[in-house]
Formats: sequence, C-alpha cells, structure tokens
Amino acid sequence: MISDFFYPQPGGVESHIYQLSTKLIDRGHRVIIITHAYSAPHPSRSGVRYLTNRLKVYHLPHWVVYRSTTFPTVFSSFPILRQIFIREQIQIVHGHASLSNLCHEGLLHARTMGLATVFTDHSLFGFSDAASIMANKLLKFSLSDVGHVICVSHTCKENTTLRASLNPLAVSVIPNAVVASNFRPLQPHEAKLLTQGGKGALLPPPPDPSQPVGPNDPITIIVISRLFYNKGTDLLISALPLLLRRHENLRFIIAGSGPKAIDLEQTLDSLPQQLVYTASGSPRVVLLGSIRHEEVRDVMVRGHLLLSTSLTEAFGTVLVEAASCGLMVVATRVGGVPEVLPGNMTIFVLPEVEDVVRGVTEAVGLLISKAVRRDKFHDLVKNMYSWSDIARRTERVYDLITGCPSAPDNIANYDEEWQHYGQMAHTQSQALIDRLKRYFGCGVWAGKLFVVVVVVDYLIYCVLELIYPREGIDVCKPWPVMGADDGTFGIEEVVLERFGTVRQKTRR
Amino acid sequence: MSSYEANSILRTSRASSIQLDERHVRGQDHTRLSPEDAVYGSLPRRPHHRESSPLGRSDTVTLGNASHPAPAYSRKRHEKRRGRSGSRRPKAVWKKLLWVKQSYPDNYTDEETFLDHLQRNPRLRPYEFWPLVADSTIIVQHVCSVIIFVCCFTGIFQERISPQTIVSWATIGTVAGWVMWDFWQSQEQKERATLAKLVQEDGTGGEDAAQRSSSSASDSAPRASSVAAEFGMQLTESSISLRADQGQDTFQSQKSGLTASASKTSLPPVSAIPGVDQSVLPPTVASPPPAYVPPYQGKPSVFSLRVQERLLTAKSAVLIYCSLLGLSPILKSLTKSTSSDSIWALSSWLMILNVFTFDYSAGPEATFPASLSTNAALMASTVLASRLPSTTHVFSLTLFSIEVFGLFPVFRRHLRHHSWNGHLGLTFFLVAVAGAGLSMIISRGGWGFGILGMVLGGLATCLSMGMTSWWLIGLQRYKNEIRGPWDPARPVIRRGWD
Repeated sequence: MISDFFYPQPGGVESHIYQLSTKLIDRGHRVIIITHAYSAPHPSRSGVRYLTNRLKVYHLPHWVVYRSTTFPTVFSSFPILRQIFIREQIQIVHGHASLSNLCHEGLLHARTMGLATVFTDHSLFGFSDAASIMANKLLKFSLSDVGHVICVSHTCKENTTLRASLNPLAVSVIPNAVVASNFRPLQPHEAKLLTQGGKGALLPPPPDPSQPVGPNDPITIIVISRLFYNKGTDLLISALPLLLRRHENLRFIIAGSGPKAIDLEQTLDSLPQQLVYTASGSPRVVLLGSIRHEEVRDVMVRGHLLLSTSLTEAFGTVLVEAASCGLMVVATRVGGVPEVLPGNMTIFVLPEVEDVVRGVTEAVGLLISKAVRRDKFHDLVKNMYSWSDIARRTERVYDLITGCPSAPDNIANYDEEWQHYGQMAHTQSQALIDRLKRYFGCGVWAGKLFVVVVVVDYLIYCVLELIYPREGIDVCKPWPVMGADDGTFGIEEVVLERFGTVRQKTRR
Repeated sequence: MSSYEANSILRTSRASSIQLDERHVRGQDHTRLSPEDAVYGSLPRRPHHRESSPLGRSDTVTLGNASHPAPAYSRKRHEKRRGRSGSRRPKAVWKKLLWVKQSYPDNYTDEETFLDHLQRNPRLRPYEFWPLVADSTIIVQHVCSVIIFVCCFTGIFQERISPQTIVSWATIGTVAGWVMWDFWQSQEQKERATLAKLVQEDGTGGEDAAQRSSSSASDSAPRASSVAAEFGMQLTESSISLRADQGQDTFQSQKSGLTASASKTSLPPVSAIPGVDQSVLPPTVASPPPAYVPPYQGKPSVFSLRVQERLLTAKSAVLIYCSLLGLSPILKSLTKSTSSDSIWALSSWLMILNVFTFDYSAGPEATFPASLSTNAALMASTVLASRLPSTTHVFSLTLFSIEVFGLFPVFRRHLRHHSWNGHLGLTFFLVAVAGAGLSMIISRGGWGFGILGMVLGGLATCLSMGMTSWWLIGLQRYKNEIRGPWDPARPVIRRGWD
C-alpha cells in the first residue's frame, strides 16, 4: 500500500490503510506499507518499522511540503521504490488518497515495472475551481493506466469516474468500516469510571442507552468535527442559539478545533447567560477542543444525538462511529452521507439553518417518544461495516485485476453471473505502446506531456535495470505463517503505502 | 477557463463521456450510458435495451435483458445463493446504499441511477447578439479614449499640436461633463425627495400612526429601500440630502419615526442603510446630527446645499490644478535619466495594463472602481511626461491624463446610466476621433487622412464588435459546467439568532 498519509499522523485515511492491511494479512496476504518519513511535530519515523500483525512499514526519506504531502518529484523515488518492489516481491501496488504524490508516483512506477495497480479515492472534488482542475488532471494522468479504482461511496465513484474519465466498471465501491469493538455503547460498569474522572466531571453524565429518555431529561448533542468552513461550522454556529432557545433540555458537547473555533466562542459569548447556562449554573455548551481518536468513543457515549453539519463528505466515518456507539444521527444530506446509514438511525437535513433545527427537533421527538431503539444500533452497525468484510471485497478487486481465482468465501458471495463482471476483456496490455496510447488520450496538450513522462520513466527503468540488476537485490524472507494457515489463498503482495502510528500499534 | 477545462476533461475522455454528451444533447430521453460501452470498444456492444423501455424502470431492464442473450457480461440480477441453492426469489433491486449487503459485486454500475444527479450547465444564460454588441460599446469607448490619449501625446511630442490647445479643449469638455453630471444629480435628488415624501405620506397617513399595525410601515420600508437601490446613490450624498429635508420635515419625520419604532423589530437592519427615506429610520438614528455631518450644520449658511457642494468641487479642482502646477517640474525630471526605449516599453505595458484591468462592469454608483487601472494609466503619463520639452507641456499632459483616465470614465458611467442615446453618440464620437487621430499620427498627414481614418476606424470597430460577439456566442457551445452531489453544499445561514 502506498500513500503519503500513514501513522503516526492521525486521520481517516491512515486508519483505513492500517485496518485494511491488517485484515489482508489475516487473509494470508503479505502487505507492506510505503510512506514518507515523519518528523516533528509527529513522533519521528524513518527507515523500516514493523507494526503489529507483521505489518512492515517503509518510511522513505522525502521532503514534506504541505500537510504531510511530499514534494511532487515525478521520478526521484523510482530507484528506491523499485528496490522495495523487487525485494518484497510485490505483485499489486495499492495507492491511497488522491492528494498523495507518493501514491501517484508509486502507481506510475509500478505500471512501468509491469505490476498490477489499484487506487483508493477517499475524497470528493468539484470541477470548477483552479485547484480542482489541476488535481483532476493529475488524477487523470495517474489513473489512465491503473488497473482498478476503489471509492468509498457511490457518490465518490461518480465523482472519480467523471474526474478521471474512467470506465465505471473499473471502479468499485468499498466503504470504510469501523472497528466495532472500539465503538461500543456505554457499558454499565463504565458509567462510574467516566463520571469520576477529572475531565469527565465537567461534562454531562453519560446516559444509559437502554433507559428511555423522559420528556424533561437533558438530551446531549455531540458534535465531532474539525471546525472548518467545509465542515459546516457556520451552519452549526447559526443553529446553536436557535436550538438552545427552542429546547430547554438540550446540552451540547463540541469536540474539534480549527479556524472557526473563534467564531463559535464569540457566538457563545454573545448569547444571554440564561441560554448558555442551566439553572444550576453548569454550562449547556461544552467546547472540548481537539481530541484524539481514542477519546472519541468516550465523548460519544455521553450523548444521545450526533449532529453533523458538514458541507461535503465522501463517506462520513464519524456518523458510523456514532451510530455504533448507539447515538441517533442528524446529518446534512451531502455527498455520500445518505448512503451510509439506514433511515431509522439517521435524520437527514438540508444544509439550511431552519432545517437543521427541524431535524434536531424531530430527533429529540423520536428519542422521547421511544420510537428508536438506540441500544440496538451497535449490533446493527457491527453487521453493516466490518474490516474483514472490506478486506474480502478488496481481495476480490485484487483477484479481478490479476486474474487469480477467488477465495472460496468470495465466490460464495456472488452468483456465477457476476464472476467476471467488470473484468478486462483481455488482460490489460502491458506493452509500452498500449500504455502510451492510453496516456495520449488524456488531453490535447496534457496527453503529449504525459507520454513524455511515461517514456522517460521507462528509460529510467531500463537504466536502473542495468545499474542495479534484479539479481543483485536480496529478496526479503517472508514471515513464518502463524497458526494453522493452510495457505488456501494465493500469496499476493500488496503494497499499500500509508503512515502507521505507534499509537495504533500499542493499542492493539 | 474553468468551464473550458471541465469541458476538455469530458471531451477528451473515453467513450463513456462521449456517450454522456450525446445523451445530454439528445435531451431528456431515458437512454443512458451503459458501462460496457465505455472502454471496450473492440467488444461487441450490447444494444441499448433501455430504448425499448421508455420509462427506464429496472424491472423492464431485466425483461429486456432476457431477450438479449449472453453478452460478455451477463447482468441478470440473480439473488445470491446463500444456502438456498437454485431458489429463484424475486430479484433484489440494486440500491445505491452502502449499509445494505447486496449480492451485486462492488463494481456493479447501475444504469438507472449512475450519475443521475449530474447537472450540466444548471445556470446557463445564453447570450444574444445585439445586447452583447451594445455591451461591448463600453470596451470600445475605453479603448478609444486610450488611443486618443496616445495620439495626443504623440502629437505633442512631434510638436504638431500645442499642449495648451489639447488641455483647454479637454478642460472645456470636462467642465461641460461636470455640468451635465451636476444636472443629473439635482434631478435625481428632486425625484428622490418626491418619492421620499410619498413614502412619508404613506407612513404617516393618520394621526394614530404609532398605533398602526407594523404591516404598513414594513410595507413602505421595502419600497423605500428599493427606491434607494434603484438610484444607487452613494451614502454620503444621500445623507447630505437628508439633512436638507430634515429642517422642513422635522415634525413629519418625528411622527413617522414613531411608526418606524413601532415596527422596528420587524424591519431588517439593512433597510436603514440606504438612508434615503428618513421616515423609516428609527428616531434614535435620525434625530441627533450624525457624526459624519460637517461642522457648519448648525450655522445658517448663505448658500444652499447644492451650491455648497459645487463650491467644494471647485475647491478640489483648484487644489489639484495648483499642486499639479507645482509638481510638474519634478515630474519632468523624475524619469529623465531613463532611456527613451525603456520609457516607450514601460508606458506601453502600463497602457495595456490599464485596458485589461479596467472595470467595465462598474455602474455609476462605483466610487473607485479598478484603481489599479487608473494608477497604471496615470503612471504611464507621468513616465511619458519626462520626454516632453517644457514644464508647461508636462503640466498639460498630466492634467489631460487625469481628465481622460480619472474623470472621463466617471462621466461615461453616468452617461450610460442616464441616456442610452448619449452613450451611443459618445461611442460614435470617440471612435471617429480615435480613428482620425490614429490615421493622422501614423500617416503624418492632414485632414484628408483624418477622414479616411475615421471611415476605416468605424468599419474596423463595427467588424470587430460583431465578430467578437459572434465568437463569444459560438463559444457558448463549449460551456460545460458539471454539478453534482459531490459539490460542497452552500449553507443557508441566517445571521442573528432572533
């Protein structure tokens, strides 16, 4: 797996790569992760590291330009990537995140070396502004020759298909998942622990999800989002006073930081005291600042509702996490959000202040009228999203592009009619001239530029073969297979480049 | 640029998007792109079964599919056989949801729903020829005035015209323009005063104004504010005029102030900003003299307000005149040591900058539109001034450039606003003068060449206006703006919480 984004940097892509890699290892694949070296402010990571579950991470020395994206050198990482690919006997290179330069470079070089490639897109882009146009051109270049693309939602698939002019059959939709065991609703024995902690004393006490909510019981709304414009913080800021005024029993816990935090605080300061404080003097709106991913669950279990006012969202992992914790979800109907959760867990609202207020009111009404069984949410979500399911589906993609026979549980899931659905009619031609044809079709000028880049890349490859011959590169010994793995699956090597955090490692 | 890019993304894309294009060109029929058509051009294409099912329902697709035997990818929607082998349950319809476990593979592309939220050019407003030509006159006017300036400079530089002639004609023109502008201003004020009075009468019809329902006042408020918006006057001007009215109508405005205060809560604060209608302003705002009122408010002034304003203008004109007179020796020697080549190149670029950054869309209410443009032009004239032989020359050229680039655009904006025929006439005049001047300067000839240039310039202008308009209309075909659910939503936010 190849991506600029991996632990120790926290984030959605990062955990996706880690979880997917672990589950693929469990399925008998050998997975390594390639990412760039990390230094301050993150814990420093360089060289080769092993994470839990025999997951090996290569931290390449790269210059980080912006938000942990490496500098876009097209060819410079080719020698080291080639060494790694040969050493680890890689068969499939799986890049992540469309803004990661390392990912695009890895895909390009992998194609030059004749490896199969998969790309996962995690985000949505528009078509109108200049930055998007540049990003789309880059994506088109990178994906012209990629074997298969995975998107996290159907909206994301439509978007990526349009942006990179892909064949829709070569795009799969495989959502994110959550580690359900990390997002359990409040257990009875935990209730005391949470209330006793120093920080917890300030927060409203966590409700018991199995107990119904009385009409006058306080209802806590959780907001977990970075406070940015595109996360809809303005919407939240405008809706907050209305909600506080309309419902006497609402409490808010807002976690996250960002440029809009100041606006939020100013709005809260400008409100009358009786709105912001309860009769007993405790604040009705608690701002937690940014919290770590491990703390998210502990915050979530304190609430009844999760409010998400995001303006664009490819998948909305936080919604799934909240539902897994047994929270009712009120979310704006944007991007891939409507696909994520069933209607009995979610109330979708338009991105308008009045509609947000309406949605929350409706959700509160549902909670009080006991029309929803929040205690059932966890088991439902556990069945909907699991990483082993995601890994199985990803493996089917790998089988599709390599032409390997599928694993038995993968076959069992689909009818024969589907068996070769979307498979290339003839295996994608490896010949350089066919690749060049594909790149040439990318655009009037861009196509020619891309062709030049690919040709240069191929020449570099030839030179590298001369300077560092394949025979001179040691092949990495595989880990001994643990347990009673009978090796039913063809051993594939998946190169996922991502950043792995130590935190994740210690947690497991 | 962006639409072109988006367009090229689609155009250069593979067959899938070509299909897409066709579909949209054909309009709202239900034939949609089928994914197999996309890349594998070499394969035998499955015919569009959708054409047999005009409604495009998924059940008809299944039926239609049965009649097309064995395509490369069979799309029969079979249930997954989990444990119940061979049982043919009613076929599950694919849903565009992530949380349901479906028996379809992950790369299944549903022809019904794939990209069905895609919108192309949702807000397209096609151009029409004549309005486009009419709008292009604004550009023509500006380009012509730049040409005239350059011609005048060349004339001065070649010592064919004396700078005094040019600057005195220009000053006469400027004064005439100012008189016209002044006339329009006073006319406007009269209209506004009558309208405001009408509004006041509306608002204070009865003695029991204070008890009136807030509806009538809030009726009048939008009207008044719309009137203000129509005139689009600067804030300072209208506040001055308000003061004029205030003296006579204190009683009335106080009364109406009561009305306004009664309905104050229902009024959006914006309606008070144009400030044309004194009546809807709450008394707290209207009654005490605002901070921006000049200090001679309390004293009885000899002159009426209009005259005061005119005197102010004259005063600033004299100030500019004198400071220019003092500055021109400095300006003359400022860039004297720079070689002439650099001066010509620099001033050409500055003039081009002026033309390209000029704010052609500004209305008469704009106070300082495109300051970069104006500054570039003035700097060009400053730089050019150093090539002139005497201080008088420098002074004349700088004054002329201020008139052409600083004041003339203001006049043109007002003229277009007030009289369309005047605007057209000015355009013809400018084109003729620019053509004649250009021809006379280039040919170094006399009036005959001038007339020839006039004709040629007129023809060239008409041709280019028509051609560029046609071209722009033709380019509209390539506009391709893509909108879809992936675009960030625009939040509807109401500021203020009560």
